[in-house]
Amino acid sequence: MDASGQHARIETPDQVRPVLRVLVVDDDESVGAAIQAILSRRNCRTELASGAYAGIQALASSRFDVVLVDLFMTGMSGIDAIAHIRQQFEISIIAMSGFRLRSSLDPIDYFGTAMQRGASMCIRKPFSPRQLIEAIDLSVAASPLVGVALQ
Amino acid sequence: MMAINGNAGLNGRAGTEVARIDRESVAHEVGAAIVHELNGPLTALLLYLGDLYQSSDRFPVGDCDGLSLKEVAENALREAERVCALMRRLGDSFEAPLREQTAFAQGREMIRWWSRAGHADNEAANAQEVLAHQIWLTARESEVLRLIREGCSNKEGGVRLQISHRTFESHRARLMRKYGAKNVADLLRLAAQDHEGSDCHRSAAAVRGRTARPRRSGGSPRCES
Repeated sequence: MDASGQHARIETPDQVRPVLRVLVVDDDESVGAAIQAILSRRNCRTELASGAYAGIQALASSRFDVVLVDLFMTGMSGIDAIAHIRQQFEISIIAMSGFRLRSSLDPIDYFGTAMQRGASMCIRKPFSPRQLIEAIDLSVAASPLVGVALQ
Repeated sequence: MMAINGNAGLNGRAGTEVARIDRESVAHEVGAAIVHELNGPLTALLLYLGDLYQSSDRFPVGDCDGLSLKEVAENALREAERVCALMRRLGDSFEAPLREQTAFAQGREMIRWWSRAGHADNEAANAQEVLAHQIWLTARESEVLRLIREGCSNKEGGVRLQISHRTFESHRARLMRKYGAKNVADLLRLAAQDHEGSDCHRSAAAVRGRTARPRRSGGSPRCES
């Protein structure tokens, strides 16, 4: 709204690309808000969902180009959410997580599991604005569906 | 905490040893849960500071002798990056000797426990959003769960499944771990929830199939910043 005038004066090369519609699914609202703030200056329209179920509902009701999903949320886990999203929607999925449990006996690779379930790529928290933008650009560029999504 | 229940049948010495290992693994998981909790605020901090730094060329150049605002932003970002690097090392140092399926359930349970301890108001949100956990059970575990639901003791269950009561007990212990249950009542409650969740999941999928039309929504209330 009135904030858009403010954003317009910031010139970045990203602004040449068409508006990307981004959905952030994370139960930590501060993460969603920060991502939204960063992306608002990079020609992205960002919506937030505070859980897997809300995210799936948002995907069902409007179109997005990319969805960022936190792997560890209360309620439905991000891994389950990713599997569900991959089955139901044609969209780039970026898995986000910093949580990591490892064992020499039985290594658990959450990101590997996320990729197996259909994530397009993974990004480890905490990440910088540059890493965030790169992840989004890469996942969108790699997706054959984006041409359709962006008309 | 949760795994200790499985040890009731052990004799004193072995039991103490297992309890010690359990305490260690719980301490480990609490640590891992704290690291997880830190991820959120640190991610937000790094994003904001990175953004401030990238915009710092447009900060007014002050006439003071000290650091310029640009330098302040740069220093703040560098310090935040140091904290994040430390956090990564901390995260890497946690090892959980758990099988994958158990780790999912316990990791989630610990996070839930930690967020409950952290903010009491999350309880309602948790209760609302208990959805498809999809905890995978083997055929044998499902049978054991069914028998526990029917109220079978380890002995009765063992007889029904033609296995030793020890084996039945170990299946039961594995179920408790998978669900992160504190006791049998807890196990039955969580398993029932999980079951409901799966139903919910399926019906959500069915609904989705019918509403495939792309509809532009006005955006979420928090969408425009």
